Amino acid sequence: MTLYVKQDSLIHEIDPITKVIYAFVAALLPYILPSHTVALIVLVISIMLLVVGKVFRKIIPLIGLSLFLIVSLVIIQGIFRPDNVTPLFHFGPIIFYKEGLSYGLLLMLRVINLLCAFGVLILTTKPDDLIQSFIQKGMSPRIGYVIGSVLQLIPQMSATIATIKDAQRSRGLETEGSLLVRIKAFLPLIGPVIMNSLISTRERSIALEVRGFNAKQKKTFLHEVHTYKYAKVIQAVLILIFIFAILWRIFL
Amino acid sequence: MLSCGGFSYEKIIVENLKYKYPDTDQLALNDVSFEVEEGEVIGIVGQNSAGKSSLCLALTGLIPHFFNGAYGGKVLIDGIEVKTSTITDLSQKAGLVFDNPFTQMTASKYTVYDEIAFGLENIGVSREEMIERVDWSLKMMGIENIKDKNPFDLSGGQMQRVAIASVIAMRPEILVLDEPTSQLDPQASEEVFRVIQQLSQEGITIVIAEHKMEKLASFTDRILLLYEGKQIDFDTPQKVFSRDDLHDYGVVPPIFTTYCKAMGMKNKKTNTYPVTLAEVSSLLGGENNEWNKS
Ligand SMILES: Nc1ncnc2c1ncn2[C@@H]1O[C@H](COP(=O)(O)OP(=O)(O)O)[C@@H](O)[C@H]1O
Ligand SMILES: [Mg+2]
Repeated sequence: MTLYVKQDSLIHEIDPITKVIYAFVAALLPYILPSHTVALIVLVISIMLLVVGKVFRKIIPLIGLSLFLIVSLVIIQGIFRPDNVTPLFHFGPIIFYKEGLSYGLLLMLRVINLLCAFGVLILTTKPDDLIQSFIQKGMSPRIGYVIGSVLQLIPQMSATIATIKDAQRSRGLETEGSLLVRIKAFLPLIGPVIMNSLISTRERSIALEVRGFNAKQKKTFLHEVHTYKYAKVIQAVLILIFIFAILWRIFL
Repeated sequence: MLSCGGFSYEKIIVENLKYKYPDTDQLALNDVSFEVEEGEVIGIVGQNSAGKSSLCLALTGLIPHFFNGAYGGKVLIDGIEVKTSTITDLSQKAGLVFDNPFTQMTASKYTVYDEIAFGLENIGVSREEMIERVDWSLKMMGIENIKDKNPFDLSGGQMQRVAIASVIAMRPEILVLDEPTSQLDPQASEEVFRVIQQLSQEGITIVIAEHKMEKLASFTDRILLLYEGKQIDFDTPQKVFSRDDLHDYGVVPPIFTTYCKAMGMKNKKTNTYPVTLAEVSSLLGGENNEWNKS
């Protein structure tokens, strides 16, 4: 489930909190300053970070997934945006306007930029480290546990469903065919699955309880989340840029 | 009970324990009283629904702190009263392992090593001590070779040993196991029994609910027989398994006992039947028609 890619890189060495701040600042900047240039600059920086982090190739399928959304954004804006006045080109009766396309392009840059900015965080940060950093910053360990276990259990559950499907198939039950047929075949099996997961939840909470999950003591951690030498400096610079952008927007 | 001048070496004292789950009308535990000494190995036997699991939960504080319901009597673990203590404090006195290896994994850790450290992080153990304890647990369970694996990638038997390691890392003096091998194949079960015996040799007091009577007979000091929540007997395996009314309680004695009963091979001195192969052979081997536990 986790998208984290283990690599040996400068970006991997940077502490999680700094990367969280980067992701938010980078994702928000093109909204605060709605110009193509800003969006493009931030995007290029994120891409450079992905390249340095040796994870650039991992972001491509993610962008690919959202390509449909992105392309339809550009097309819809290009044709239908209310302030469209300057026709640029046309396919038969459909006219594309400059204003709409330009705005669509900005939206597209923002989406790709958002993906890349968070890509820098998600692809180069171990989920454990991220959660632990948040807990050390004051997040409740319970919430931390829930996030962590969801990340682990989703692949477990899809494995269970795959097993059920195999079982159905081997018993000659329909796993292909119309939706109705499939639902009919699935229903008698989903009951036990839900029952099972309820029992598992109770058993797992018992297992957590007997391992001090409710302890009042302050938690300690097996692993030190690595600190990064320049973390404070980078964080300060990022926050300054952010504040500066807001001031720019308000006053200029 | 018997406590000479306030000194008591009983690790577990259960006095007139009664318990009923919420929204039920039958007592799951009905007036159970027994005492366990330090270092003893106690087997809990009884048919399904006899109350074995409930007793395990009561010894570790899940009853009454996790399961509500009606609770009466008293359970003392190493001198601490369960009712007024907390599950966290008790977890450092009496650890609990149960049947399903999968649900005992926290599902929030990516390596066996981290999984075992989970409880220690929660109770605020220092990093150095944590490492020392995790290493000790890994060694006790013989699972050093899998310490970097994802817990969910393990076999059932390995996972169960990780579960035990996670619990003993909390350094309890008592380990309570509820049918720890019921979901494992014979070979994995054998490994788990082996590590339990090893823990016993380390001096840890063991309480184990189990259906494999041959196994229980071979390494327990005493057997607690439950039936519909009531305590029927609490005695040596030889005494309990030699009872003529055992079948009435839904318990099948070890195969050796059944065999010797059919053959009328009884130890004349103790008036009990053998419960292990070793006892059978020493009975057959003569030695004044007497046998000793090996
Ligand atoms: N969570 C529960 N809620 C209500 N009743 C329960 C619960 N767990 C067990 N019981 C009841 O308590 C009795 C003892 O069960 P249990 O301790 O699980 O026995 P055993 O482990 O020997 O099979 C049974 O009658 C059972 O139905
Ligand atoms: Mg049970």
